[in-house]
Amino acid sequence: MPDPSFIFAQSVSGLTAAMFLFLIASGLSLIFGVLRVLNFAHGTFYMLGAYTAFQLAQWIGNGTGRFWLAALGAAAAVAILGGLVERFLFRHLYGAEELYQLLFTYALVLVLSDAAKMIWGTQQKSVSAPPELAGKALSLFGAIIPYYNLFIILLGPTIALTFWLTLQRTRVGRFIRAAALDRETLGALGVNVDALYTWVFVLASFLGGLGGALISPMRATTPGMDTEIIVEAFVVVVIGGLGSFWGTFFGALIYGQVLSFGILFFPRFSIFAVFALMAAVLMVRPWGLLGRPLK
Amino acid sequence: MTRRPPWEALLLAAALAVPALGSRFYTFLANDVLIWALFATSLNLLVGYTGLVSFGHAAYFGIGAYTTGILMKKLGVPFLLAFPAAGVLAGAAALLFGFFCVRLTRIYFAMLTLAFAQIVWAICFKWNEVTGGEQGMPEIPYPSLDWMGRLPLLGELRTSDHFYLVSVVLVAACLGLLRRVVGSPFGRMLTTIRENAERAEFIGVNVRRYELAAFVLAGAFAGLAGGLFGIFNRGVFPDFAYWTKSSEVLIMTLLGGMGVFYGPALGALVLILLNQQIVSYTEYWPFVLGTILIVLLFVFPGGLAGAASTAVRRLRRAT
Amino acid sequence: MHRRTVPILAVALALLIPLGAEAQKPIKVGMPMPLSGPPALFGDPASKGAQMFVEEINAKGGVLGRKLELIVRDSKADANEAVRQARELILKDNVDFLVGTLTSAEGPAVSVVAKENKIVFIAPIPKTDQLTAPDKLHPYVFRVAANTTMEGRSAAEIVAKWPVTRVATISFDYAYGQDVTKSFVEHLKKLKPGVEIVDQQWPKLGEQDYNPFINAQMAKKPEAIFSSIWGGFFVTYSKQAKALGVFDAVKYNFIGVGEAATPETTKSMGKDYPVGIWGNSYDAFYWGETQAHKDYTARLSKYLKDEYPSSWAIQGYTGMQFLVEAIKKANSTDSDKVSKALLGLTVETPIGPQTIREKDHQANRGQLYGKTVMDPKYPFAIMKPVLYVDPTKFMD
Repeated sequence: MPDPSFIFAQSVSGLTAAMFLFLIASGLSLIFGVLRVLNFAHGTFYMLGAYTAFQLAQWIGNGTGRFWLAALGAAAAVAILGGLVERFLFRHLYGAEELYQLLFTYALVLVLSDAAKMIWGTQQKSVSAPPELAGKALSLFGAIIPYYNLFIILLGPTIALTFWLTLQRTRVGRFIRAAALDRETLGALGVNVDALYTWVFVLASFLGGLGGALISPMRATTPGMDTEIIVEAFVVVVIGGLGSFWGTFFGALIYGQVLSFGILFFPRFSIFAVFALMAAVLMVRPWGLLGRPLK
Repeated sequence: MTRRPPWEALLLAAALAVPALGSRFYTFLANDVLIWALFATSLNLLVGYTGLVSFGHAAYFGIGAYTTGILMKKLGVPFLLAFPAAGVLAGAAALLFGFFCVRLTRIYFAMLTLAFAQIVWAICFKWNEVTGGEQGMPEIPYPSLDWMGRLPLLGELRTSDHFYLVSVVLVAACLGLLRRVVGSPFGRMLTTIRENAERAEFIGVNVRRYELAAFVLAGAFAGLAGGLFGIFNRGVFPDFAYWTKSSEVLIMTLLGGMGVFYGPALGALVLILLNQQIVSYTEYWPFVLGTILIVLLFVFPGGLAGAASTAVRRLRRAT
Repeated sequence: MHRRTVPILAVALALLIPLGAEAQKPIKVGMPMPLSGPPALFGDPASKGAQMFVEEINAKGGVLGRKLELIVRDSKADANEAVRQARELILKDNVDFLVGTLTSAEGPAVSVVAKENKIVFIAPIPKTDQLTAPDKLHPYVFRVAANTTMEGRSAAEIVAKWPVTRVATISFDYAYGQDVTKSFVEHLKKLKPGVEIVDQQWPKLGEQDYNPFINAQMAKKPEAIFSSIWGGFFVTYSKQAKALGVFDAVKYNFIGVGEAATPETTKSMGKDYPVGIWGNSYDAFYWGETQAHKDYTARLSKYLKDEYPSSWAIQGYTGMQFLVEAIKKANSTDSDKVSKALLGLTVETPIGPQTIREKDHQANRGQLYGKTVMDPKYPFAIMKPVLYVDPTKFMD
């Protein structure tokens, strides 16, 4: 019988991985829910967030509060990029076949990830954790939880809640939910749906970029991180339900725990397990845990 | 009465003549193009003709490659059996996975094909005893081609050239078969389904069964391409089944043009040659490719073949 | 007078031109090497070390009157890509030799290509025993790196001296990780039969999130850890491990083979590096035991424009050294002649004389081992004391 503090430690690391994924996958889910497009380039926005945070950290140093500035700055830069891409390129493909939209997002992956290589080179980059949280850890139930991990674990639900309240309670949130259901009618009611779409893309890219910036102290910032993360994000949104916000949250939680405990029960096949889960969900309940049944 | 020039025969002759150029590299490239052309054409059966966008076609390519590789390298099975086995096993896998996939539509279909492909990849990547795991299986033996050395004209050529000629014949045969399929009533029904699946249901067509059949055929031919590729590449590796390989072949299909039978083959040729050219000037090939794709999507959604046939039509009308 | 000298001169010139052209045709060496991602931390300097040697040789007039040309291609630390690049180097660029590859997946795969094309292939970094195992050995493959038997056993000798009985291992699940861990465990058990291997973790090569593996390992309460996680991956692993208190828990009874104590690694991690662990390295600019080494380090420092030059350049450098010495000895660039010349060849490398033995084309390449400490002279950790471990007694 494995030791309870170990089980706790393992679920905490699963939780940390989950909250990172949630940050990234939520943007993906938002774009799918409203724009009905699976954005392959979302992983690349995440990667650009990490690289930009690295660059900003190089410029402004690692003093108190600097890391947070760098992270927010990076997320904002990526958000602007997302907005520009939507406004000038993607918008013209809305009428086209789904396949073309998907391939456009994949072409973006090629262009943007190579641009990152051009700017930052091919060696992996390392970012130090913010000094306020670095090196300190909480000891709980015999498990060691670094403060930074704790921060991420708390950040996840905070963002989830903020997001959810925005969608439910604010005018903009109502418009977003309406656009997801029926774009034409919303336009007929006088809402500038084009601008709304752009803002959705901006918000989603902000979340993706923020995810990348915040993960950089824990993982390597390196070429190829975009193609790795996008598949994980796909698994999460499928399990939770494409377009469902809380679905993404719970999908991420499940994914994190499966990966964490997977290495205990089937050490060789933990990567197999997450894809098997994704396939199982699609075979049995394609709209995921909390998604809307397909029309 | 105007007669269409015998393009296929001319291309076949040209393909067979490549080793005569005496450059090992040209033969190498041509072999690469041929196999990808088959792979892309098999995908087009699904995407272009049936309207089903698969993100996981590389799974069948990988299964075909590993099947032939394992049979020939570990079990000493001759190529004559190992090659069709690739198609059979890949087709069987396509039957199993396809059964579940065709019950879904659009993005869910695509996601499930991706999930199955990643499962195949994960198995190839981790099942060290059978597939070699991360190492892959380097050193896949060539089929025994000594008999070719005794044929007139071919005695001087190397084994890789002999294998190339075998590839030409096999790929031509597969493409010929696929052409037949696409031109048959079955193929025309697929196009009807792509245009309006609901209407097809109305007139009593069992859409799912047709889609599954297309899925299996596409998978089988992708498996055959994979079987050839494992030998050509001198080794079988897990990234044959990784999702980025699926996206590569999808890009070729789009680039060449999904609406024309030989479109994807053209896409394979152009992409591989373009890659070679660009790489000699810059290391940023993905950037160039991505830009080309974006331009293509906005300007020539029909791909190169689509643009070419539009241009030809315009010329005909003008003259 | 004029009427005859001109035609004679013309004929003489005509005879000279082909010779001149022949002398100008460079000797091409293909180098597939990972130049992107976490492996580039090791691959990039290795390629630069080779390049430096080529420039030094060319400055002295080249080899057999011909210049050397090094063509480096990014193999992305992927066996499939390495095979592709190797084949293109042979078929398109018409290279005469191959010196390169880094991972133990790339090495054996490219070895097959070398065999089929009869091109001499010197592997300067892949360690798996499988590269030179009897069933995989062929006339054209050679290794100037340590192999997993040598590395695993050297590490076991060090760990056997620690006051520990519960040992855990963490390695990548591919040829290198599997083979080196196996050698380590077998030899350790021979040296210290009371030792218990309490846990073994096998993350996939390229893993980014080691937390689940670390937790699972620490739950078994090991007293010492053997790791073969390498390159940029070690940077990620050790950051995560440090945050989870791994090094404190084992009291720094941690040995990182796969060159965890190279200056590149300690430099790139700065204060995040877990100072106090043991590790190895192919070279260390601060070793300076011989004048030859000091000279080499000074040249390297100047070439790389780095005060604390990389420890990986030496492998690229040594690979090229062996090739050039063999070409000179064979007085030819013919693959069969060069391959014969390499057998039993001894070369004075910057770290000392190395010999490629006939039995398995393996050089007796030992490594530097030591415990890391902070030295006031440098802004990053170094190994002190640092010992060159002669592998001869470990080679079967």
